[in-house]
Amino acid sequence: MNPTDPIKLVAELLDLPIQDKDGRWCGVVDDVELSGTPGKQARLAALLVGPGAYRGRMPRWLFAISRSVLGDDIVRVPIAEVETIGSSVKLKCAATKLKLGSGDEKARAWVPRWGAL
Amino acid sequence: MTLGIMTAVGGFVDISELVFAAQAGSIFGYALIWVFALSTIGIMVFGEMSGRVAAVAHQPVFNLMRHRLGLKLGLVTLLASMVSTLITTAAELGGVGLVLHYLTGAPYLLMAVAGTLVLGASMWILPFKWIERTYGLLGLLMLVFAVSLVAIHPPWPKVAGGFVPQVPSGLSTKELLTFGYFGVAIISAVMFPYEAYFYSSGGIEEEWGPKDLPNNRLTATVGFALGSLLAISILASSAQLFGPVNVGPETPGTSALEAAIPFGKAGLLIALLGMLIAIAGAAVETCMANAYSVAQFFGWEWGRHKKPWEAPRFTIAWIGFLLLSLIIILTDVDVMTLVEYAIVFSIVVLPLTYLPLMLLARDKRYMGQYVNGPLANGLGWLFFAVVTAAAIAAIPLYVLTSGGQG
Repeated sequence: MNPTDPIKLVAELLDLPIQDKDGRWCGVVDDVELSGTPGKQARLAALLVGPGAYRGRMPRWLFAISRSVLGDDIVRVPIAEVETIGSSVKLKCAATKLKLGSGDEKARAWVPRWGAL
Repeated sequence: MTLGIMTAVGGFVDISELVFAAQAGSIFGYALIWVFALSTIGIMVFGEMSGRVAAVAHQPVFNLMRHRLGLKLGLVTLLASMVSTLITTAAELGGVGLVLHYLTGAPYLLMAVAGTLVLGASMWILPFKWIERTYGLLGLLMLVFAVSLVAIHPPWPKVAGGFVPQVPSGLSTKELLTFGYFGVAIISAVMFPYEAYFYSSGGIEEEWGPKDLPNNRLTATVGFALGSLLAISILASSAQLFGPVNVGPETPGTSALEAAIPFGKAGLLIALLGMLIAIAGAAVETCMANAYSVAQFFGWEWGRHKKPWEAPRFTIAWIGFLLLSLIIILTDVDVMTLVEYAIVFSIVVLPLTYLPLMLLARDKRYMGQYVNGPLANGLGWLFFAVVTAAAIAAIPLYVLTSGGQG
């Protein structure tokens, strides 16, 4: 599916995994940002990725717990960077360009680079 | 094919199978064989489906779960499956410690620590294909249980009669409840949710595509049938050897005697080595299944086909789950109690695991020409109803029977 096609946001886009142009898993569609004015057709402006985007999607008490464990970062992925939407969202660019998957970059420092065949 | 063998041998004949199959045979004779056979068809159906979805939509089960169940229900499912799979990993590590203790005579907890270190090292060092091959193929030593069954000349008509759905007549209410508890426990142990997480993620690790679908069907069918054959052999040998003399095989060591009776020391040694590899394989599977689940839920880079530092959060997750499981064992908790908790928790998670899988496998937009046919849909819904009923009955039956103690 092309990102400019009509789309059912909840059924077809929310909670889909995201892969960058190199096939790297780099997040999940946690929320979306829409543009438009009242009475006009809403358009998809960006995908919101990261635990900060859970805010509107769970009860306040649950979000407070989630924030204390996972933090509240949000990365905005402009829709222009989306190649296709199917069983996953494929990006046109590398994850690092949008600062997606930065948790993996930080965690890499803790994992030794030896021993594995 | 080794992925299927590892999933089936490690998934079927793990510590819970060894205990429940042997106890079921000792208490109820051959009357619970049909539950094994029925559940085997169930895991074949969902195993094939999860492999097909992995090959066609390139989506493992936990990605689907969150997309289909939404964030809140997905999070509940993630937490519940993490707890049940963590308890299962701890039970498997305890099982590894027990079998090493039987083999060497060294203290059980020391052996559990040593076993965990070796498992962790193998998961770090070996590429995914070699993890599969090592635990899948060496686990075939478990075939000694099938050979032992043939060697003790069981009453084959009675064994065959066990495949017919039945409830033994003349049972008291208490015994009926215990029979029900064992039935639910067997369904749970055969259809453990981690098997679907591991199998589908493994399919993606091996970069399956539509051309691999015939292999997926063969692997799911033959692999799980093999696991079922071994579990039914353990049950039938127990019915023949232990039931008549009122021996309750409450530890895996008793099950190993099934091979010792016809084949002496050599049989005992092969049975213990086979059990060690099968239980260790299950520990690897459950540990990795938990890491797969968390990584896929949050969209982290994952996969054991990569070097550990190429998927760092996934690596930290599996190491963390392995260490947490070891800490549980080091509290000196009874391994058999852990097995019972693992069984009851897992059955509660099963419907939430298989519903999203069913929904996606029957969705033509994602699956195209490989969408579920009438047979897969019919069997899928039938077994979804079975696991849902078992999930509802599990906790009441556990409480009413004090975990199968009657």
